[in-house]
Amino acid sequence: MIDIAIIGGGPAGQAAARQTLAAGLSTTMIDEQARPGGQILRQPPAAFAVKGWMAGRLYRPLRHLLAQTEADTRLDWRGSTSVAGIERIADHFRLTLSGAHGGTLLARRVLIAAGCYDMPVAMPGWTLPGVMSAGAVQTMLKSQQLVAGQPIVLLGSHPLLLVLAMQILDAGAEVAAVLMPQTYGRTMRAALPHLAGAMFAPSPLIAAGAAMARLRLAGVPLMMGARPIGFTGDGRLEAVDYAWRGRTHRIAAQVAAVSYGFLPQSDLPRQVGAAVRWARPAGGWETLCDGAMRSSVPGLYVAGETTGVAGADAAMAEGEIAGIAIALDAGAQPASDMARAQARRARLQPFIDLLRAVADPRDVWPQATPETLLCRCEDISVAQVEATMARLSPMADASAVKHRCRIGMGLCQGRSCEHALVRRIAAAQGCDPDAVAPFRVRFPARPLTVDEIIG
Amino acid sequence: MTHEVLIIGGGLLGCAAAWHLARAGLAPRLIEARGINAGASGQNAGSLHFQIERRFLEPGGTAHAQGGDIVRLNRLAIEEWAGLEDQLGRPLDIHMHGGLMLAENEADLALLSLKVARENELGLPTQLLSGAEARDLVPRLAPHICGAAWLAQEGHANPRILADAFADAAKSSGASIETQSRLLDLRRDGDHWQATIEQSGQIATARARHVILATGHWTARIAARMGLNIPLYLAPLMMSVTDRTAPFLPYLIQHVGKRLSMKQTDDGNMVIGGGWASAPQKMADGLPDLDAPPHLVPDNLRANLAVAAGVMPCLRGRSLIRSWTGMTCISADQLPIVGEVPAAPGLHVAAGGSMFTLGPLLARMLARSIIERAMPEEIALFSAARFAHLNAFVVPS
Amino acid sequence: MSRIVDGVTRPAPITVEIDGAMIPAHPGETLAAAMVATEIYRMRDDRSGAPRGLLCNMGTCSECFVWIAMEDGWRRRRACLTPVEDGLRIATHEVPL
Ligand SMILES: Cc1cc2nc3c(=O)[nH]c(=O)nc-3n(C[C@H](O)[C@H](O)[C@H](O)COP(=O)(O)OP(=O)(O)OC[C@H]3O[C@@H](n4cnc5c(N)ncnc54)[C@H](O)[C@@H]3O)c2cc1C
Ligand SMILES: Cc1cc2nc3c(=O)[nH]c(=O)nc-3n(C[C@H](O)[C@H](O)[C@H](O)COP(=O)(O)OP(=O)(O)OC[C@H]3O[C@@H](n4cnc5c(N)ncnc54)[C@H](O)[C@@H]3O)c2cc1C
Ligand code: FES
Repeated sequence: MIDIAIIGGGPAGQAAARQTLAAGLSTTMIDEQARPGGQILRQPPAAFAVKGWMAGRLYRPLRHLLAQTEADTRLDWRGSTSVAGIERIADHFRLTLSGAHGGTLLARRVLIAAGCYDMPVAMPGWTLPGVMSAGAVQTMLKSQQLVAGQPIVLLGSHPLLLVLAMQILDAGAEVAAVLMPQTYGRTMRAALPHLAGAMFAPSPLIAAGAAMARLRLAGVPLMMGARPIGFTGDGRLEAVDYAWRGRTHRIAAQVAAVSYGFLPQSDLPRQVGAAVRWARPAGGWETLCDGAMRSSVPGLYVAGETTGVAGADAAMAEGEIAGIAIALDAGAQPASDMARAQARRARLQPFIDLLRAVADPRDVWPQATPETLLCRCEDISVAQVEATMARLSPMADASAVKHRCRIGMGLCQGRSCEHALVRRIAAAQGCDPDAVAPFRVRFPARPLTVDEIIG
Repeated sequence: MTHEVLIIGGGLLGCAAAWHLARAGLAPRLIEARGINAGASGQNAGSLHFQIERRFLEPGGTAHAQGGDIVRLNRLAIEEWAGLEDQLGRPLDIHMHGGLMLAENEADLALLSLKVARENELGLPTQLLSGAEARDLVPRLAPHICGAAWLAQEGHANPRILADAFADAAKSSGASIETQSRLLDLRRDGDHWQATIEQSGQIATARARHVILATGHWTARIAARMGLNIPLYLAPLMMSVTDRTAPFLPYLIQHVGKRLSMKQTDDGNMVIGGGWASAPQKMADGLPDLDAPPHLVPDNLRANLAVAAGVMPCLRGRSLIRSWTGMTCISADQLPIVGEVPAAPGLHVAAGGSMFTLGPLLARMLARSIIERAMPEEIALFSAARFAHLNAFVVPS
Repeated sequence: MSRIVDGVTRPAPITVEIDGAMIPAHPGETLAAAMVATEIYRMRDDRSGAPRGLLCNMGTCSECFVWIAMEDGWRRRRACLTPVEDGLRIATHEVPL
């Protein structure tokens, strides 16, 4: 039995490991990616050599942390391994793993630092091959050193699109257009109340400004107030339709990168019974924790985007706090001071609030049509879901709808559609999404083959 | 408000009983604490299993003597299922293409042949197949499968949609069905029952001549609150399901010596179960929490999948996408308890045992017992009167 | 060619078999990357037979499940997490088990 299992090798998991290793705790880090780094520093394959990889100044602390992690021989790193199951037995946990290091793992404590994922947003044609999340296009670039296609159109409400556009230009490729549904006016109005506070951590703001200037210079059309309508193509994406200044337009694309925000990974915390709540403003479920990142389940800690989408700096700070708490709770001596780590995290809050306000997708969603598939795994359309909800009125929870029309019953177990279903139920009932009972999350958190379970 | 019949519980039993009573003009009222089909009726394996269980074979036992009645009921249940889609006027994913109970070794085979002989004697047309014949039906069975008992009428149905169909039919025949309505208290009031009901935060009362507790595994606890002893015990179970695959298995698969039920749904998923236990969550006082879903016991999932992949090796390569748990109950003698409780005239129960397979039939019988004011003799075996001695010291309230 | 060449050194290419056709790939690359680099965006078909491709490229959405040949039969794996290696044989349609 090990002292601590860390699920996720992103900034949060790595920062926690610094503390638990310094405290002398046996630490295992599990990640379904082959190498540590998480989403922001998704590393190239070990066999590649990439000159100046992620060289930007903003990434310096993250690169430093990653170098420390990779050099630390005390860390038991298990890459290419998915955590499919987590259960609490008496005073410890058992993880069920799939992949390179399959089998089970017993741990006295567990930290879930599983990050977040791009929010899938249903719109006409979004199942065409070539329509991807912005994160998918970005990780193809960062990690695989590959431009996913040309021409490429970026669309959605999240400022990450600006970063991505720049990275595509840096790779020597072109960006056909960046379509953002919110207007400049709305963006400024949303940002204003948060600006003063965010000045304490201004570097991302400066980065955003620099990105916009760079796009202008490169002649990339950045259209604020352009509303994406849908995707068309015969068997694969050929064009993106959008509304702009009162008219609809069509722009050719081989790849579309979509970003309306991120959803915290919540299946493992929910599987083991940790308390979660609807994340604001973008949705999904963030795992609740105290000031030391302890979840509602004794011995289970959470850090990083799993606790709410807040960016890499917050993830690092929270990982550090969690690592300190784990060390202290285990009666060991962490490397850093808890109060200082907590203060570091607190200083980031104004910028996080700013980003959330600017990226708030709620009044700029694209419109799905009745034929649009809401559940991509089982091919369940908006019309089927609406009809089921109507039959179930007055009260329905997400599971009742699922049982009757199969939404969320496929390979992804609702990771792509559950948030959208809960939003629809809440809208129909005129209540807050938090008041709608979501799906019941069960083993496995990732599909695994029967032989991986029975050995 | 006074009703002729008040039904507590909107699972398969409650909804089907409501339909039969409504068609007889009794305008029953059904209250369901959560949503229709939110209990075991929506979580079960959906097996339609009509071969008799092993315990009815053991010579000399009481169960042996009951074999005849069980077979008779199973034959009625077969008819019931065969007519259900027509009666309810909608597709219910009912597939009665046959079922195989497998033998993996000589001992299994000996038991199977004993079983088939006994079933044939009792009028159930089971057939003993060789391993090769079984593989002709299901080529993906393991080569070591050495025989199977085949019953052409077995199969499976979709538990996610059946109770809704009964509830809709009941409503159009004049039943009133209310969800989010929980029975809090039930007491005698002259020749009626008085129920206290919580409905969207409001407390209301209702009077009824007959009350049906169609409350599944909650039944014993509700009865206990009334001072009545109904010997029903919790059976927390688990199931799992693989990804979809092209249709290859139209039959129900069971095992004569191991816990296994396996089928392919209309959508192509393989649903695997067979009576493996899950672990109930506990309340502060240590008693099982009847409202909370039990925890999965991963060792049982492993064992269940090992049995399944043992008889069908190609399953090893399928992706498991979900597991789930649910609770049902079994009675002291493992037979359902159906009908009026002698110590509480006008109070009817229907729980215990395989109430998916037998549910539609038993709901019809229970409704008939209220309509005709007499217990149909076909289900005399299940009468609550057999446990009357447990209520000998109960003072009717 | 969508692979970035400037400043990137990759191991010598190998080939992997997809639905009977051979495509080039560099060891270590993910299968999804090798497919996209060859402009193969379709990784599976949905229930209506319409093509589907990767969505998240991080193991979460399950859109990129393909069938991979193993010693004792085929297994479904996420193309976005599976590194290519010599002799890898995959199918984007269900292979009977
Ligand atoms: C695709 C993508 C791209 C992003 N790009 C940027 C960017 O360029 N700039 C920016 O500021 N922010 C970016 N973000 C936000 C990013 O999540 C954070 O900045 C930061 O990486 C969060 O750190 P973390 O440690 O909380 O999570 P992550 O870095 O996401 O790390 C979590 C890790 O957990 C692993 N994991 C999750 N579930 C399991 C499981 N069941 N089993 C095993 N392993 C699991 C994942 O593989 C991942 O490596 C991106 C997010 C995504 C999803
Ligand atoms: C995992 C599993 C697999 C199974 N497999 C099979 C199988 O293959 N074949 C088979 O024949 N059987 C099977 N069973 C058993 C079968 O599912 C049950 O016997 C059957 O569904 C019982 O139906 P019911 O309507 O009596 O109970 P339920 O469906 O449990 O309905 C009872 C209802 O009563 C409601 N209720 C409870 N208390 C109150 C209250 N105070 N006020 C109002 N409402 C209340 C509940 O909310 C619930 O909806 C299985 C069961 C499980 C759990
Ligand atoms: S693309 Fe989402 S799991 Fe691979």
